[in-house]
Amino acid sequence: MDETAELAAFRAEVRDFALAHCPPEIRAVVAANGKLGRKQWAPWQRILHAHGWGAPSWPKEYGGTGWDQRRRHIFDEVLAECDCPPQYHHGLRHLGPVLIAFGTEEQKARFLPGILSGEDWWCQGYSEPGAGSDLASLKTRAVREGEEYVVTGQKLWTSHAHESDRMYTLVRTNAEVKRQEGITLLLIPLNSPGICVREVRTIDGWHHVNEVFLDGVRVPVANRIGEENKGWTYGKFLLDRERLGGANVAPAFRFLDRCRELVARELAGPADALKRGQLEYRLLLAEAELRGARELGKAAVDAVTAGEPLGLMPSELKLSTADTVQRIGAIALDAVGERVASRFRPVDASGPNAAVEDIEWVQNFMYLRAKTIFGGSNEVQKNVVAKQLFGN
Amino acid sequence: MPFDPRPMLPGDAYDAARRFAEASAATLAPLHEPAARAAELATQWAALLELGWPGMLVPEAQGGAGGTLLDLAALAEGAGSVALALPLAACCGVAPTLLAGQDALLAELAAGRLQPCVALAGGITLEAGRLSGRALGVETPPRPSHALLAVEDALYLLDLGTPGAAFTRHERIDGRLTLDLDLQGASAQLLAAEAGTSVARACDLGALLSCVEAVAAMGTLIRQTIDYLLQRQQFGTALASFQALRHRVAEMYVAWRNLTGLVQAALREPGWENIAFAKLRLGEAGRFVAEQAIQVHGGMGMTEELPATRLARRILMAEFEWGDRHVHAARLLAAA
Ligand SMILES: Cc1cc2nc3c(=O)[nH]c(=O)nc-3n(C[C@H](O)[C@H](O)[C@H](O)COP(=O)(O)OP(=O)(O)OC[C@H]3O[C@@H](n4cnc5c(N)ncnc54)[C@H](O)[C@@H]3O)c2cc1C
Repeated sequence: MDETAELAAFRAEVRDFALAHCPPEIRAVVAANGKLGRKQWAPWQRILHAHGWGAPSWPKEYGGTGWDQRRRHIFDEVLAECDCPPQYHHGLRHLGPVLIAFGTEEQKARFLPGILSGEDWWCQGYSEPGAGSDLASLKTRAVREGEEYVVTGQKLWTSHAHESDRMYTLVRTNAEVKRQEGITLLLIPLNSPGICVREVRTIDGWHHVNEVFLDGVRVPVANRIGEENKGWTYGKFLLDRERLGGANVAPAFRFLDRCRELVARELAGPADALKRGQLEYRLLLAEAELRGARELGKAAVDAVTAGEPLGLMPSELKLSTADTVQRIGAIALDAVGERVASRFRPVDASGPNAAVEDIEWVQNFMYLRAKTIFGGSNEVQKNVVAKQLFGN
Repeated sequence: MPFDPRPMLPGDAYDAARRFAEASAATLAPLHEPAARAAELATQWAALLELGWPGMLVPEAQGGAGGTLLDLAALAEGAGSVALALPLAACCGVAPTLLAGQDALLAELAAGRLQPCVALAGGITLEAGRLSGRALGVETPPRPSHALLAVEDALYLLDLGTPGAAFTRHERIDGRLTLDLDLQGASAQLLAAEAGTSVARACDLGALLSCVEAVAAMGTLIRQTIDYLLQRQQFGTALASFQALRHRVAEMYVAWRNLTGLVQAALREPGWENIAFAKLRLGEAGRFVAEQAIQVHGGMGMTEELPATRLARRILMAEFEWGDRHVHAARLLAAA
C-alpha cells in the first residue's frame, strides 16, 4: 500500500471505531457544545485505552501508540468530526510527559497506567489567590517532616478538582532563595485529610473551577517529582505542553461548523440577509486563521517529535487560536443572543435555562472568555514573544 | 539578538532574488520623478530578462528554465522581502501559465521579445470581432509589447501598437508600473475561446505569488519595526521598552506567522481553496501589519523615504492583486 492509501485506511479505521464505540450519549454532549466532565471523558478514555489508543502522544514503551504527526493529526481530526470528546488533557498531555521525562521508575509504574486507562483523574494546582500570571509568587507551603511533606495553603481556579483523584501541585519549599528556586512539584491525593474543595461559580453557569484549601496535608516524599526546589523547571516544561494543546485545532473546526449551521438556521429569513452575510464573512475569516494555526500546530508537533526546541511555538499557537475560538463564540452569540441571552436562568430553578434551545451558545461565549486568560494569558504570551523578538 | 525572519524557501534562488531586489531598491531610492523611476525600472527589467526570470516556468524546449512553482516562489520570496517593484507574479507566473501549450509564444516570452501585461479583470467587450472598452490599473512590465486579455470566456493577445489601442501609464502605491488600456475597435489574436478555467487557474497562481511576496515583505517589515523601536529614544528610554508597543509587535508577529502557515499549506497543495483562504487572510493580516508598522514609526511612518513604508505600501497593494479579500470570500461562500 502506498502512503496516501495507508493514511486513508487509517482515517477510515479511526472513523469506524469512533462511530461504533464512542457512546451516543457522550457524543450528544459534544454535539450540543456542552461542557465536558469526568462523566463523559473517563468512559471514553477507558474505551480508547482498551483498543490500544489511550495515549497517541506518548512513546510506545509507556503505552503510547507510536504514531507520527500525520496519524495523530488524523486521529484528532476524525474524533472531532465524529463529535467524540478530545482526550482529557491533565493526565495525558500535561502530567504524563513530565512523569516520563522526570519521574522515577516507581512513579511511572504507579501513575502512568491510571492516566492511560482513565481510572485516575488529575487536576492542576498551580494558581493561588495571590499567584496568577506571576505564578512564581505562590505561597502554599510544604514543610519536610521525615518522609513526608506537610502542605498548607490555598489553590484557586483548580479545574475539575471536584471530580479528581489527584492534584499535581506547585508548592513552596524554600522561602529564602530566589522565588523560582524554592518551588517543588508534588502529587497530592485529593482524599488526603486536610483538603477541602469548594466550587467557584463562573459566568458560564457551569461548574468547572474550584478553590482547594490545604490544611496540614501530609504528602509522602515519594510523591515529589524530581528534586526538591526544582519544581519550576518541571512546571514550566508542563506549561509548554499545555500551550501545545492549541496544536489540536480539530475541535475548533468542528465548533466552527456548528456555528455555521447555527447561522444558516437562525438567520434564514430575508430580513436577516445583512446580518447573515456579515456573520458568514466573519466565519470565513475565523476559518482562515484556524487553517493557519493548524499549520503552526503541525510544525510544533514535528518539533516535539524530533526533540527540537519549541522556541516561541507554544505562544504562537496560543495567540493564534485563543482569540479565534472566542471570535467564533462571539459570532454564535450575535446569531442567537437577542433571542436567548434574555432567558439565561429560570428564576424558580437552579442552573442555566436548559429549556431554552441554543442556550449553550451563550454559555460557551461566556466560558470561552477564559481561553485568553488561563494557561498564561494572552498578555503574558505577548510578553514572552516580545522578549524574544526584541532580544530582551 | 533581535528578530530576523527565516524564509519559507531558503536557498540560492531566494538569495539571488533578494540581492537583486536590494540593489534595485538602492538605485531607485534617490529617484523621485515617476518618469525617472520608470526608466530605471526598464533597465532593471532588462537585467531580469537576462537572468531568465520570465522564462522560469517556460519548458526547456521553448528556451525556458523548465522550473516549478516552488522555484518561482523562491524568487518571489527573495524579491518580496525587499518589495521589488517589478511585476514578478504577472509576467513570470501568470503570463506563461496563460500561454501554456502555445509553444511559439512561450518561446517569444522566454526570449523577452513578447512582453505582455495581463488584464484578466474584465471591462473589455467583443463587438463584430473587435475589442472595445477599458481595463484600468493593469500591472505591466516597463516596456510592454502586448496585453493578454480575458474577454468573457475567451483569451486574446493584443499588440499594443495596433490601431484602436491606446494606453496611459501610472505608478501604483507600491511603485510598480501600471497602464490604463483604452480599446476602441482594436483587433486582437484569439488564443483560446474557452479559457475560463485556465484564466482562473492563472489568477490563483498570481494570488499565491502575491501572498508569498507579501509574507516576505511582512517579515522584513516586522524586523525593521523592531530595529526602529530599539533605536528610537523618547522619554529618556528606547521605545522598545514600552509594553503597549511590544505587544503590538507581538501581535504583528503572530499574524505574520499565522499567514505564513496558510501560504506554506498553499505552496504544498496549490488548490484554489487553499489559495483563497491565504489571500483572504492576507487581507486581514497584511493590512494589520502594514497599518501598525506605520503607526509605531510615528511621523517617520508617514514618510516616503523610509524603507519600512515602502514595504508597508507593497503589502497594502498585494491585497488588491488577483482578487481582494471579498472576492475570495465570495468564491468560498459560493462553493460552500
Ligand atoms: C476557567 C479557568 C480555568 C483555570 N484552570 C486552572 C487550573 O486548572 N489550574 C490552575 O492552576 N490554574 C487555573 N486557572 C488559572 C489561570 O491560569 C489564571 O487565571 C491565569 O494564570 C491568570 O492569573 P490571574 O487570574 O490571577 O490574573 P492576573 O494575573 O491577576 O491578571 C489580570 C490581568 O492582567 C494581565 N496581566 C498580568 N500580568 C501582566 C503583565 N506582566 N503584563 C501585562 N498584562 C498582565 C493579565 O493578562 C490579565 O488580563 C484557570 C483559570 C480560569 C479562568
